[in-house]
Amino acid sequence: MVPVVSLVMGFLSAAPLFLAVGVNPILAYQEVLGIFATTDGLTESLTRSIPLLLASVGLCLPFKMNFWNIGAEGQLFMGAFAATGMVFLFPDSPTIVLLGSMMIAGFVFGGLWGLIPAYLKARLETNEVLTTLMLNFVAILWVDYLVYGPWRDPAGFKFPLTPMFPPNARLPWIPGTRIHAGLIMGLACAVLVYVFMARSKWGYELKVSGESRLAAKYAGIDYLRLTMIVMFISGGLAGLAGMGLVSGIVFRLRHGISPGYGFSAIIIAWLARLNPLAVVPVSILFGGLLVAGDAFQIKLGLAFATSQVFQALILLFVVGADIFTRYRVTLTWK
Amino acid sequence: MDFVIPQRKETLVQMKGIVKKFPGVVANNHVDFELKAGEVHGLLGENGAGKTTLMNVLYGIFRPDGGEIYIRGEKVSVGSPREAINLGIGMVHQHFKLVEPHTVFENILLGLKEPVFILDVKEAASRISEISKRYELAVDPKARIWQLSMGERQRVEILKALYRGATILILDEPTSVLTPPETKELFRFITQMATEGRSVVFITHKLDEVMAASDRVTVLRAGRNVDTVDRQQLDKMKLASMMVGREVLFTLHKNPIMAGEPILEVDNLTVMGDKGLPAVKNLSLSIRKAELVGIAGIAGNGQRELTEAIAGMRRIASGQVRLCGREITHKPIARRIREGVAYIPEDRVGVAAPQGLTVAQDLVLRRYREKPFSNGIFLEQQEIDSNAEKLIKEFNIAVTAKSAPARTLSGGNLQKLILARELSGNPKLMIAAYPTRGLDVGATEYVRSLLLKQRDAGGALLVVSEDLEEILSLSDRIAVMYGGEIVGTFPASEANVEEIGLMMGGSLRKP
Repeated sequence: MVPVVSLVMGFLSAAPLFLAVGVNPILAYQEVLGIFATTDGLTESLTRSIPLLLASVGLCLPFKMNFWNIGAEGQLFMGAFAATGMVFLFPDSPTIVLLGSMMIAGFVFGGLWGLIPAYLKARLETNEVLTTLMLNFVAILWVDYLVYGPWRDPAGFKFPLTPMFPPNARLPWIPGTRIHAGLIMGLACAVLVYVFMARSKWGYELKVSGESRLAAKYAGIDYLRLTMIVMFISGGLAGLAGMGLVSGIVFRLRHGISPGYGFSAIIIAWLARLNPLAVVPVSILFGGLLVAGDAFQIKLGLAFATSQVFQALILLFVVGADIFTRYRVTLTWK
Repeated sequence: MDFVIPQRKETLVQMKGIVKKFPGVVANNHVDFELKAGEVHGLLGENGAGKTTLMNVLYGIFRPDGGEIYIRGEKVSVGSPREAINLGIGMVHQHFKLVEPHTVFENILLGLKEPVFILDVKEAASRISEISKRYELAVDPKARIWQLSMGERQRVEILKALYRGATILILDEPTSVLTPPETKELFRFITQMATEGRSVVFITHKLDEVMAASDRVTVLRAGRNVDTVDRQQLDKMKLASMMVGREVLFTLHKNPIMAGEPILEVDNLTVMGDKGLPAVKNLSLSIRKAELVGIAGIAGNGQRELTEAIAGMRRIASGQVRLCGREITHKPIARRIREGVAYIPEDRVGVAAPQGLTVAQDLVLRRYREKPFSNGIFLEQQEIDSNAEKLIKEFNIAVTAKSAPARTLSGGNLQKLILARELSGNPKLMIAAYPTRGLDVGATEYVRSLLLKQRDAGGALLVVSEDLEEILSLSDRIAVMYGGEIVGTFPASEANVEEIGLMMGGSLRKP
């Protein structure tokens, strides 16, 4: 209930923003609602939601144990890089083999990227907010190096992008839309992670570790191992998101392959209260917001930053409203 | 902060008809309470009687659902602890509200309006040392809280209240973390307060203390007033039965039993403390089957570090620990649990029973890996639930539901939960640190009888307690710790209280 209300309030709070740039807020809201009213709008929202879905599901795990993984963006980039690497290495493999190896590579490399801050935290007590955040830049710049340099498309007019992927490196999609097989991956992962968290031994260990590290020790939990497993999976899922982007939508690796999906995933995971099943509708909503952002630019002449501000306002309201989920307000008269 | 020394025996605080409800329980049901100036007022009752809740209402932590509060004759509404402090009320809670990574000095100054930006260290420091000297509450202002023993932390809490000029001091279970000499000190301090015209309310279960120190005693039971008794009319048996609602027995029967083969062997153990110095020095100890060994000693002499080391929570620098002949010195805790080591740590809330988990979840905290609670990957929720139901009933743990979060349990019930869990695994060795601390008469009786039952059934127990009477009545053998070493071991039948006192103070060794 509270997340819904805070969502609505976040929406409404953007009205002054629109007014400030000379746009009628009603028109803006109409655009947003319009997205969900048309088939095109819905399918496009679903498409955009896929990387968000994967990354957000991944974030539910570390957040539950109070490990603040702010590095989903970098993990996504590493996954995209690894998947692209597979295409360069085995361009003539049969589709299933190639796609399979791309998924594995994407997961593994994203997972390894997440393992680094986990190891540093568990062994040296380094603050994971800093390490995960910094590693984002390393990954993004690494991809930049590749797409500006050795992997650049010679026929690409000097733009920072790789050559287009051959057909055997592209994920199958639903005809008439851009929705690709990554959606199935995402939904499957949401269910798997949910079951993992709610019913498995490790889900229990997650909860205990989130309470206190000493309590986890007392319970006999191997905190180091748990942190590393969780971050490997979290990074891996973000890496899969990256793989989905390059082989499902863009069909190449390029500069800025992700416009901040890894960061939006943080908001989505919070809004979904770290429940992987709730992440599904929330990411579709955010996918819709991204499409709306496009519409804002094209039809209303607003900057791309607008939809980002939208998302930020929502996060603000959701986090601020969190206190109402734990305390009830009663009005009394003196 | 100055205050006007009120007329002796003027009524300072009046609470009328206080009602406070929580989901599922009425903690205070039209409770009255009165406090006069210069009075030492004991608030007595079992766990869950509503004493702490009542004082939390006075201190502004809770808003009452009904009733009125008058301070110095004026009706007030205490909306927050800050307002309570401004009214001259200070409270030292059962669970200390100190910031562990910070120093004593920083904790005392926390939350005050001055100093504003620049920390006027000199003035504040001199004021603190003045209060510290005046009331004989010695503590090192530069020490960090996590390095201090519970007794020292309590002194910090008291200093905090006095620094803010408290004229009404509420102490919640103050002696539960103190040893006999420290307790004497505390009551000397309380008397000093009262002589100055300040008032002290202390919440306790300990009948002897309440009888010795109070001018008046108010007894609560199940959220209601039972009676308020003057000093002259205090009678131990009567108080106990008022508290509990039935006749209470004070004697414990211990079965004479032959101890068996050694279960726990500790050889030349050295364990480092938090301040970088050895807390346990070359300590050797053994506990046999069907034997309860009680560790006596003033808190801060290595008992905590010893129990933590044996339980696996603290690294052992040198020496060996063997369980049933098998070495477990550096084995991980999960392995120790599997081998049958049960551990009831000093810190219940943070370590032994995470507050955000449900009661059912906490009841399998150390055993969730075993069958039937899990089968490899998944947890068997049904088994966990039925285990919870069984233990709640067997140990009479007062909960609203097994799915209620552990933080809704009162201190005593939380301890019951921990005991229930640790005992239910049928452990070979049980390590209990201060097991009856903060528990009322009924629960204490119950816990002690459980420990003895465990011993009768063949368990080996290591019990650390600050209550000498408890050690004397429970132990088969007693070991006294001082300065990280055992300075005397002897069968309980040969115990001499004076000698023990000397050993605890470091003046005697009995090899």
